Amino acid sequence: MGFPLLTSLLLCPTLALLVILATPPARAGFVRWTSLVSSAVALVLSALLWARYDAGAGGLQFTELVPWLPDVGITWHMAVDGYGVALLMLNSLVYFAGVLTMWDLAERVKEYFAFMILLVIGVYGVFMTQDLFLLFFFYEIAVVPMYPLILVWGSTRKEYAAMKLMLFLLAGSALLFPALLAIYHEAGLGTFSLVELAAHTFDRDFQLFVYPFVYIGFGVLAGMFPFHGWSPTGHVAAPSAVSMLHAGVLMKLGAFGVLAVGVRLLPEGAVYWAPLFAGFAAVGVVYGAFVALKQTDFKFVIGFSSVSHMGVVLLGLNLGVMGVAAADAFNGAVFQMFAHGIMTALFFSTVGFIYDRAHSKTIADFGGLGSQMPRAVSIFIVAGLCGAGLPGLASFWPEMLVFLAAMKTMPLVGVCVIAGLVLTALYVLRVFETAFFGPPNPRWKDLPDLRGWELLPRGLLVAVLLFFGFYPRAMLDLIGSTTQLLAAGF
Amino acid sequence: MDPTAITLATTFVPFLAFAVALLFFMRQPVVAKAIVLAGGLVSVAGSLVLLAGGPREPVRFLWFSSGDVTLHFGFIYDGLSLAFGAVVALITLCIQTYSVGYMAKDPAQTRFFAMLGLFGWAMLSFVYAVDLLQSFIFWELVGLASFFLIGFWYEKPAAAAAAKKAFIMTRVGDVGLFIGILIILNTVGMFDIPGLLDPETGLRAQVSPGMLTLVMVLVFVGIMGKSAQFPLHTWLPDAMQGPTPVSALLHSATMVAAGVYLFARLNPLFMASEATLLTVLCISTVTALLSSTIAMVERDIKKVLAYSSISQLGFMLMALAAGGFFAGVFHLITHALFKALLFLCAGSYIHHCDSMEIEEIGRRGGRKMRWTTAGLLIGGGALAGIPPLAGFWSKEEIFAALSHNGAMVFVAAAFLAALLTAYYTFRMIFLILLPASEEHHGDAHGHGHDSPAVMLGPMMLLAAGAVLAGFGGGWLARLLDVEREHHTLLAMLPAIGVVALGIAWAWWDFGRRSAARTGLVARVRPLHTLFVNKWYIDAFYAAVVARLTDLLASFFHTVENKGLDDGFDGAARGFVESGWLTARLQSGWVQSYAGTAVVMFALFGIYLGLR
Amino acid sequence: MTLTAYLLTGLLLFSLGLITVLSRRNQIAILVGTELMMTAASLNFLAFNRFTALDPVVGQIVVLVIIGLAAAEVSIFLSILMVLYRSRHSIDVEEMRELKG
Repeated sequence: MGFPLLTSLLLCPTLALLVILATPPARAGFVRWTSLVSSAVALVLSALLWARYDAGAGGLQFTELVPWLPDVGITWHMAVDGYGVALLMLNSLVYFAGVLTMWDLAERVKEYFAFMILLVIGVYGVFMTQDLFLLFFFYEIAVVPMYPLILVWGSTRKEYAAMKLMLFLLAGSALLFPALLAIYHEAGLGTFSLVELAAHTFDRDFQLFVYPFVYIGFGVLAGMFPFHGWSPTGHVAAPSAVSMLHAGVLMKLGAFGVLAVGVRLLPEGAVYWAPLFAGFAAVGVVYGAFVALKQTDFKFVIGFSSVSHMGVVLLGLNLGVMGVAAADAFNGAVFQMFAHGIMTALFFSTVGFIYDRAHSKTIADFGGLGSQMPRAVSIFIVAGLCGAGLPGLASFWPEMLVFLAAMKTMPLVGVCVIAGLVLTALYVLRVFETAFFGPPNPRWKDLPDLRGWELLPRGLLVAVLLFFGFYPRAMLDLIGSTTQLLAAGF
Repeated sequence: MDPTAITLATTFVPFLAFAVALLFFMRQPVVAKAIVLAGGLVSVAGSLVLLAGGPREPVRFLWFSSGDVTLHFGFIYDGLSLAFGAVVALITLCIQTYSVGYMAKDPAQTRFFAMLGLFGWAMLSFVYAVDLLQSFIFWELVGLASFFLIGFWYEKPAAAAAAKKAFIMTRVGDVGLFIGILIILNTVGMFDIPGLLDPETGLRAQVSPGMLTLVMVLVFVGIMGKSAQFPLHTWLPDAMQGPTPVSALLHSATMVAAGVYLFARLNPLFMASEATLLTVLCISTVTALLSSTIAMVERDIKKVLAYSSISQLGFMLMALAAGGFFAGVFHLITHALFKALLFLCAGSYIHHCDSMEIEEIGRRGGRKMRWTTAGLLIGGGALAGIPPLAGFWSKEEIFAALSHNGAMVFVAAAFLAALLTAYYTFRMIFLILLPASEEHHGDAHGHGHDSPAVMLGPMMLLAAGAVLAGFGGGWLARLLDVEREHHTLLAMLPAIGVVALGIAWAWWDFGRRSAARTGLVARVRPLHTLFVNKWYIDAFYAAVVARLTDLLASFFHTVENKGLDDGFDGAARGFVESGWLTARLQSGWVQSYAGTAVVMFALFGIYLGLR
Repeated sequence: MTLTAYLLTGLLLFSLGLITVLSRRNQIAILVGTELMMTAASLNFLAFNRFTALDPVVGQIVVLVIIGLAAAEVSIFLSILMVLYRSRHSIDVEEMRELKG
């Protein structure tokens, strides 16, 4: 066991959290800098993981194994495959950009960053652990801080949104927890280790029965149609950086959970249920796009676009399980998690900026914003075009891969979701036309544009989108070997 | 030098220029212009060097692979790409130069030039792409550049709406193309264009004829969107909201030609599918005729040109679908030259006369701008097909191709379209040249003075092209490696006759001294109404397609809010309500509690007693 | 007199007390009701003591405890009532429903 990179990555925000808790609330500057430093270090560590991960060999690497509660078989088992590395990187990027986005926060700074970092810790934990118990543990850690974050720092019906979000996610957990315990008992190995559980073949009937619990339990967090309602409302109510983490990373936890627990441990169940869930996901893709077309609030548009794009992820997962074009579908799903994460983070970071200055999120309130804040608008346009699946930006590749698999597996579904691209373009361009183009609204003539360091987080995310848009190999090489192992099972 | 490096320079330098200009020189338009022009110059030099080198083997590099998909990035060097690449680079540079004069007073000109650079990159990369998916990527990026350029004056609501419309309508076509490409990949397992074209191992050998037809029709749907064919043509006239150089570059010479180019690229595959060819022939014929009729009554000079572009694109596709590969490509190239010229002339008029109305330009003395008017005459003549200008030769090829392979109805339609083309072109020319009345108010707007040299230079270059390109047919045929028939003067007579008839008709309606200057169509009320309203196609879209989309969106929105949201809220409220139900037992009245306790004890006692 | 007669008297007393407790709204009356019930219990003890007990002292001790307890209870109950009356100007149980769900 070499240097425990993964634990260090987890400890980095944890230390920051402890320091922040010990800081007097008045010293807001210190709190900000502590968060920034921890996020920068985490970013460097994630980059290191990416660089040192041997994609050729594939499989789980950087393994750390320390028995924790041996009596019940809980182990501090940290290890990542290609998917984990990509998603850890995503989390670090969004964390870093999120801290910078909230730099100007003035209200209860200490508490805000403490909760946000707690959320980040939970996400890191889920992505790196190979222990079912720890996975659930970190999963809950990641979910719960959303409630105070929305309730205290939110806007627009925040009590309703926070409560709705909490109820949906806890309902998901309520489905999940018994399912996980059932898996533990059914295997009878006395261990929570995902690696050992994955080696065990569960009884077919058991798989068929338990898989929907796992899929829907995690799926709720992934914005699965029709249990997505919490997500747009939550997006709208949450402060910008929380929306970034929420849409950018938290929703990926759900899809990752389906993959890491559902597909990996219960493959037969996954195969059995895949056509149905693929259908739901496809409906989600088109449905989200249609609903986004009717929204009047910036954040609602993005919220429903997330439903639509996460539909692509879930569609990819299910198509992968169906096995006709498994590698393409899994690659597409995971790549889409990453691309969508960066893209929505960029969206919310920019909308947050506009909202902080203008105190309005209503699309119709604006108009001609392009001449007022050209930089912010340009960045939003980049994110929007990425959402519309334009080549040259990261989202194009995963969408293409998933659509390809869809055409191969379920041609009719494929045609429908591809036709959805027109709708995507339509709702994105509608926002451009109404808010950014047209005669400038004199009401906003004093709004300042992005400048100086404010460009840093947004610029970073734009650069990431462009990089993967032009050089998808960077991602596909990383996740390819993991996909091969996974796809071999279907 | 290594052709790969040259191609990389040709395609990528404009992108570099775009990025550098936009990121670093937003406030120094002069530097930005210089950078973009330099980039354009590099492209021209590169494409000419490649052209001089002649056709050679394509090159490919691995871009990425995922599962079954292996995507290559590479360049193809056959006669088609070399010739069209050079034309694109040349016209792009011409128009960039012209824009230096045209956009001189625009405060946001850096953005304009940057976007021209972006467009040059996307278009050239599309032309040289060896891989179908690579083509698709740049095809989309061309559309993106078009979106930004049409919406350049985004503060005008009409421009913003036009940009959106163009993007969405081409997107509709692109969905078809994308599905087609994915089907190709799923059946053949590759995107490589030369590989797909191979008669032994390519697409034809591997899929059933029915499948081939399906795929090619889907690809043609993409072409319909991009090349503005009926019924997806209505975005192009609206796109005239963009600055005129944009119309010249994108909506006549290059971007809209991309569809025709793609057809030519995949020509052998289209040729293998009879049903597709018939579809293409029908649609392109309808397009050519329909748009000509609208051009006959249109008052806006740019829109006349836009409709004529649609009509000429229909012409090219007719030729290609009838098996006239050479005729189609030849017309593609000549049309690029003379239509760009016409748009630049139109821009020059608009610049000086502050109006887009043809009659207004005539009234304000547009004809006094000698060089521009000369350009208009050459371009218009080429468009109408007056020998020996470029358009005549290529159109003649098209007639020949159609009469060889098409049914008589298509030949007749082509002649009719050519007649209408000559008519509306010379309607425009006569209205400018021989206005019914003329304003004489000194020289307040600089009327009578022509545009600056930086604008006239490119126009003259294109005019030279429009005159001379017609004689390059033999050379082009050799480059494309196709047989070209020799046409006798006798065979050319019908073509000449049609043009003469069209011009004479236009003279009767608009030219002669006592002409009413309203046109024949205006005297036939129903027809006039139909043409002026553009055959009600836009109205149909607004009334049916747009409303249908809106209805569906409203429906889903209602499902979301009233169905799902209220449903879940209702469920949550149900739980709370059921809580209240049990809470009502908790009356707070001690005596009722005590009574309950007594009753329960009594019941328990009775139970114990009975046991 | 037989044991049954004593027990029936006790039952009557107890029932009267219970009805008073459950139905009266005045807390003083309720207190009287509880006293009646305790008297009934005492009567039962004494009756069983007289007819069946092995050691007659036990029942009498219990009754003495009950009387003492009742005295203590009355004093505490009345003092609570005083406080309640002072704060609410009423000793009606119907009005004391703060535990209502």
